Parts: sequence; C-alpha cells; structure tokens
Amino acid sequence: MTLLSIDFERHRLENGLKVVLAPDRTVPVVATNLWYGVGSRNEPEGKTGFAHLFEHMMFQGSAHVPKNRHFELIERVGGTLNATTWFDRTNYFEAVPSHELDLCLWLESDRMGWMLPAMNQEKLDNQRDVVMNEKLQRYDNQPYGDWSERLQHLVFPADHPYHHTVIGSMEDIENATLDDVASFFETFYVPNNAVLTVAGDIDPAEALASIERYFGEIPAGGDVPPIPGRTELEHVIGTTVRDTVVSDVPLPRVIMGFRIPPYSADAFATAEIARALLGMGRASRFYRHLVREQQIAKSVATYAYPLMTGASMLLVWGTGYPGSDPADLEQAMTRELEGLIDARQDEIDRAISLTETDLVRALERVSERADLLSMFDLYFDDPGRLNRELDRLRSVTLDDVRGFVGEQLGRNNRAILTYVPENAG
Amino acid sequence: MSALDRSAPPVSGALRDFSFPVVDRKELANGLDLRVARMNRLPMVNVSLFMRASEDALGHDRAGLAVLTADALEGGTKRRSGSDFAESLEKIGARVSASAGWEGTTVGISCLADRLPEAFAIMAEAVREPAFPEAEVRRALDQQLATIRQRKMDPGALATDSARAAYFAPDVPYVRAVDGTVASIEAMSRDTLRGYVEANYRPEQGGLVVVGDVEIDEVAEMVTKHFGDWRGAPVQIADFEVRAATTERRLILVHRPGAVQSEVRLGHVGTFRSTPDYYSLSIANMVLGGMFTSRLNLNLREKHGFTYGVRSRFTFRSSPGPFQISTAVGNDVTAPAVREAMRELAHMADGGPTQEEVAAARDYAAGVFGLQLETSGQVATRVNQLLIYGLADDHYDRYRDEVRAVTAEAATAAAAVHMRPSEAQIVVVGDADAIKQPLEDLGLAKVEVVGRD
Repeated sequence: MTLLSIDFERHRLENGLKVVLAPDRTVPVVATNLWYGVGSRNEPEGKTGFAHLFEHMMFQGSAHVPKNRHFELIERVGGTLNATTWFDRTNYFEAVPSHELDLCLWLESDRMGWMLPAMNQEKLDNQRDVVMNEKLQRYDNQPYGDWSERLQHLVFPADHPYHHTVIGSMEDIENATLDDVASFFETFYVPNNAVLTVAGDIDPAEALASIERYFGEIPAGGDVPPIPGRTELEHVIGTTVRDTVVSDVPLPRVIMGFRIPPYSADAFATAEIARALLGMGRASRFYRHLVREQQIAKSVATYAYPLMTGASMLLVWGTGYPGSDPADLEQAMTRELEGLIDARQDEIDRAISLTETDLVRALERVSERADLLSMFDLYFDDPGRLNRELDRLRSVTLDDVRGFVGEQLGRNNRAILTYVPENAG
Repeated sequence: MSALDRSAPPVSGALRDFSFPVVDRKELANGLDLRVARMNRLPMVNVSLFMRASEDALGHDRAGLAVLTADALEGGTKRRSGSDFAESLEKIGARVSASAGWEGTTVGISCLADRLPEAFAIMAEAVREPAFPEAEVRRALDQQLATIRQRKMDPGALATDSARAAYFAPDVPYVRAVDGTVASIEAMSRDTLRGYVEANYRPEQGGLVVVGDVEIDEVAEMVTKHFGDWRGAPVQIADFEVRAATTERRLILVHRPGAVQSEVRLGHVGTFRSTPDYYSLSIANMVLGGMFTSRLNLNLREKHGFTYGVRSRFTFRSSPGPFQISTAVGNDVTAPAVREAMRELAHMADGGPTQEEVAAARDYAAGVFGLQLETSGQVATRVNQLLIYGLADDHYDRYRDEVRAVTAEAATAAAAVHMRPSEAQIVVVGDADAIKQPLEDLGLAKVEVVGRD
C-alpha cells in the first residue's frame, strides 16, 4: 500500500534553473522554496561560516528591494519566510496566500539576479554582529553547545569538508569582506546551481509563465567549482576516538558518532532503519531498555544525517541522571548497538509504520512538500523520489541490518563524546 | 521577452477566500463536549481530549502534579505494560501524547485515518485505566527532577524562571514553573497520581476534538463505546487572584560567572485571554515585538546588531499571564540593549503604534491566520482553544474581521493600559563582573545581584 502520491511536474529554464511545480488547490496557500547547491562544505580554509553569513546577507536587500523590505512585504500579506544553511545546501522559503505568488517570485528573483548593487559595508558589519550573537546564543552560552563541533572533529578528518561547523569560526567571520560577498554570490548564486519548487494552490502553466518572467532574464553562471579538500572518504573512522569534556553541564551525556555511507548510497536506507530501531518512538530499543527498564538514561535520541559528500554520520545520544557515571551509560548504549544483530522484522515494520505517518503528517503542509521536492531534485535529480521514500525503506532486509551492525557500528568506527558535569564530585 | 519592470512589487492576484472548517458539535449524555471537523486532503486524523485537570488549581505543595500524572500515563494501563502500550500504538504508526499545563490536561492522537479505531481504544484505556506501576512512576518522577535541575543550568530557562518569580506575588500559581519544584515532586508517589486521576480526569468541563479524514457518526460511535459510561463529579475550578509581586521597577542580575552572553527578560503581569481589548492589544504587541519587522527587532537586531533576535509577548491564560520582552545579547552590549528595549517599551506605552504600523500588523495577523489552517493538527489546536477559554463557536469565523477592525486609537489605548514600563521587572542572567556597572549606569533601577540557586 502506498498512500503517497504527490503530483508534480518538472521544467528547466534556459539559464539552467530547475523548476518543480506541485499543484494542490485544496487550500489557498502557496509555498515557494529555493535550494541552492552551496553549503558549508564549499567553504575553503579561512572562510568557514561564510555560507551562513551570506544567507543573512540575502535578506539585506537587492537592487529593487531596500533593506527589511523583503520581510515587510511578506509579513504584510500574512506570509511566513526564512532560510537555513547546512553542510551541502542553503534554502530560502516563503509561504503566502496563493494570490501573492508573484510577490515571492519577484523577491527571490531580485536577489538571485540583482543582489550585489545593494550590498555595502554597513550591512555586512551589522549582519556579522547578528551572526556572532547567533553563535553566542546557540552554541557558546549553552550547556553542551560545542557538541557538534567536537563530534565533527572526531568523525571527519581535518581535510574533509564536514570537519568544520556550519556556523564556522568567528575569526573567519570577522575577516569576511565585501569582496568575499561578491565572489561568493557570483560563484554559487547562479540559476544553474538552484532548484525552485512552487507547491500549493497554483495553475502550473500560469506559475511557469510567471517564473519565466521573473527568473528567465537572469544569466546562467559558470560551473560551480569543486568542493575544497578531500571529498572521497572511507566509510569507517578506522578506530575508536574519544573526547571527554568536563564542563558546566547539568547532566552527564554520551554522544556517539559513526561514519556511514553518504545519503546517495543505497546502504543509507539501512542506516535509517538502524537508527529507527534504536531510537524512534517509545517502543525503540534505547527507550524501552535504557529509559524505561534500566532507567540508566533520562532521555535518548538517534539521527542519521542525510549528508551527500563522501560519507555521512549516524548519531546516538544518551543523557544520564544526576550523579550517574557516564561510563555505565556508554556501556549500556554499546550493548544496544551490538544487540541490533538480532533485529526482528516486526521492529522494521514498526519503524516503517511510524515513518509513514510522520511523512503524511509532514506532507499536509505545502511548504514541506516544496522543501522535500527541492531537496530530491537538487541531490538526486529526481523529485519523484518523494513518492518512493517508503519503498526505499521497505527494501531493507534483516541481513542488511545485521551487516550494518558489523560494518558500521563496531569498535573501528566509533567517535565517543562524553560530557561530565564539573560539580559532580 | 519584453523587459520586466522590477522597480515595484507585483500587483496581487485575485484573492481566493476560505473559511474555517465547519465544526460539528455534539454533547454526550455524560457531559463530554464532542467537536468534529472534517478535512480530507490527506488520510490523517488528529484527536485531542482536553480535561480541566490543571496546574493552576494546585497549591504550591502539589505543584507539578498534573504534569507528572500526564507524563506517567505512558507507564501502562491495567491491561498493558508501558512497553506494550508503546508497541501497540507504534506498530500501527500512531503517536499518542499526554501533557498538562496551567489550563488542563490534553491527551492526543495523531495517526492515519484507517488506524483511528484501534488508536482511539488504546488512548481511552490510558485515560480511564492507567496503572501507574511503581517503577514507571519512579522514573517519571526522576525525569521531572532532572529536568528541573537542567533548567537551572540553562541560561535561557533560568532567566525565564527568575523573571516569572519577579513578576508574580509569591502565592500566585504562575510564580512557579509549570512542572513544579524539587520539594513538591519529591513528595509524590503512585498513590498521589492515582488519587489525582480519580478526582480530576472527567468528561465534563473539557471536551474531545477530532479533526481529519473522518465522519462525525464514526467518531460518535467510538466515543460512545469507549467513553459512554465515563462519569465523575465536576472538578474544583482554580480560584485565585493574580497579583504582581510589586509595582516598583526592579533590575535583578542573576550572576553566572564567566557567561559570554546575557539572557534578558523584561516584563510584568499581563492580562487574561478574555480581555475585551484582546485584538487591539495583540496588534500593539505585534508592532512592539511580535513580528520580524517589529520595532524591537528592527532596533536591536537590524539597526544595532545587538542580538540574533528579540520578541515581546503576552501569554494569555484564563487568568492574567506574563507580558514579556526576551532576548539574548553579548556582554559588552547588555546595558545598551536593555536601554533600547526599555525605550521601545516606553515609546509604545506612551504613544502607541502609528496608523501605518497598525495596518501592517493587521494584514499580517489576518493573512497568517489562513496560512495556519492547513493541517489537521493546526485546526485541532484552534478548536481546542475554543474549549479551553470558553470562546464562542463562531470565534474563528469572525477572527479576521475582528483583526481588521482594530484601529490605531484602540491599539494605542490597549498599549497604554497593558504595557507599564514603570512597573517593569528587568531580569538579566549573565556575568555580573562584566555587566553590573554598565547596568547600574543606566539609572533604571538599583541592580540587585543574586546567585543562581
């Protein structure tokens, strides 16, 4: 049974911009979503954090749109908007009442085609300050706030693009210049490095004509330069690596990272199933055993990062109780990881049932549809993959899971980050 | 292709209007108020059972009991262990959640429509026959205690907790965190939880909201089957007067040695959900700090680069909740950021928003309302608000007209009444060695330094 069938059509403008249209006229809402093929992986040494800083600059206006006007216009029509930067991509999105589609297209095309004339030092200085405050708020002033940086250092070697964080180093941010903004824009923010998805209450022919009108005259750019550093990577770390941090955290926490095949590999589906068996829902192994039965963990979580470049990462988290020994927690987590060798089919079925409901729930929103279609088009040149997500997971066998335990979760592939409360006595 | 004139925003297309989904209503013999809205874009369904088992009716000595009880419901029923309970739901892809707050307790289901009968039966079991096994209760209790501890070391949560304590008089329930205190939680046991359910989980004074790909008759049948013989005397409704701790302005600095950033909360007691100037006040607040292009954000973030973000908010409850501005700023700009936030607050309280600002906020509020009715979960949340705050059935049908009717004069009047800079409690969690003197120099109030415990 497959419930999922999101209708869409694909187009490509002469300048290389890929377009996905997904009509659904049941509610008067339209979502626009632009994925650019640039993220922190494209940053050379000395320029870390720039992709994210640049994302902030994209809201500072363009030739025909003064500073703050983008927000004002979208809020004025009752719309919502934002943008995010990650390792492999940057996305920009709006959701508005459907009669305001052209407003989104005008705003997005203006900054894709005419951003640079509006840039100046004052805007750059202002957004550098905002980004530095973002780093303070989300990382430096938070218990466990440095976990991602520490874990990335353990899982990926110094010459791999996932070694450094998306927020980057504040020293690099300090040194960013207007010339950097210009060259980044000209290199990466070109129509041939982007996917535009419009989902919701549209007539596809009219929407396509509008997209042509607003984006068609933007010239194609050059080819995107190769990703700096080493992009081919073994799918295991090679050993067990550790980092133990004694700091001002409330509770002990163990975060284990495993290098795994990239999102583009067939084997990634096995990683998704393995992480679901371990940590998805309250019948999962971590929750059932560590939280409920042994009461050794206060909370648990697991993630398989969908990363594209050379390798990706599976994460498992456990947070202990006050005064408990993180070594015991680590041992209990390790037992569960190794115990996956006897995974059962009913566990896989449960994971797929939960995933199905979660996916349908997500697709109730046209903005989620747009985001996923953009992602599948940018990463795989295949937006239709959205309609095959569950089949992909259903194809994972028990043998695949057993093989995964041996190949990816063993001692030769563990990065273990431990937080110990400093006042634990 | 003819050259496009990019100099001005495009003209809007033709507005497609929409209505709030039709909500069918039925009252069961036992007093359960059933409300069903059909949405069939996708085969989803969302259920939420609201009961008036609320934290605001509990004294400080029992603080956190409603929250703990809701959390411990997943510990199992008289027929299923906790693990079996989770397993039976998750194998059909259903997610069931239970949580409690100031207004009451909500038990919810989110699942595919064809799985509803099974999920509904299991959810009913959790509400009507919870077992509270000793080990599961102990765990829920330890988890809650650990969460309370975690909050003390999280600067943002610590700031919010300290601010609340500065706003409300010591005997008002809202003065404490909703999930209780170490002392109140440590005193609870499985018997306390059982007793709480017996006295407070009731069909009356609450209701059941079902939104999604279902028919009302189908739902009524399920409800009759599983809740038809559910009875119970009405619960004691919370009875307290909200009073401020003080009407004097104070500046409290919670010392966090070595902090690289300051968490700032600035506010006082606000007002209640059924205040007659609800719409005018909401619009005034949006202009102050309720949207990206608000005065506070344009000043503190886009002009000065002091912060990643700043917002202001009235938390409307059955009784007056807090009004608060919140932000996080670097040490060196803590004092200037507090100065600017106070200046914006005073400016709004004295002069109110301009015509143009009110028009922009009205358009945003009226527009975004429609955008947030896309999913069964969003609609269920809205219908629940009707139940919780006793709002009229046609509340959402009138919502956009009410918003559009707000005038600058009305918003100005609401701001003048409900925003009171002279009574502001300014709470800063940060490194006193770095920020105390500059805060003192602002001359807003004498700086009182306290430890974090």
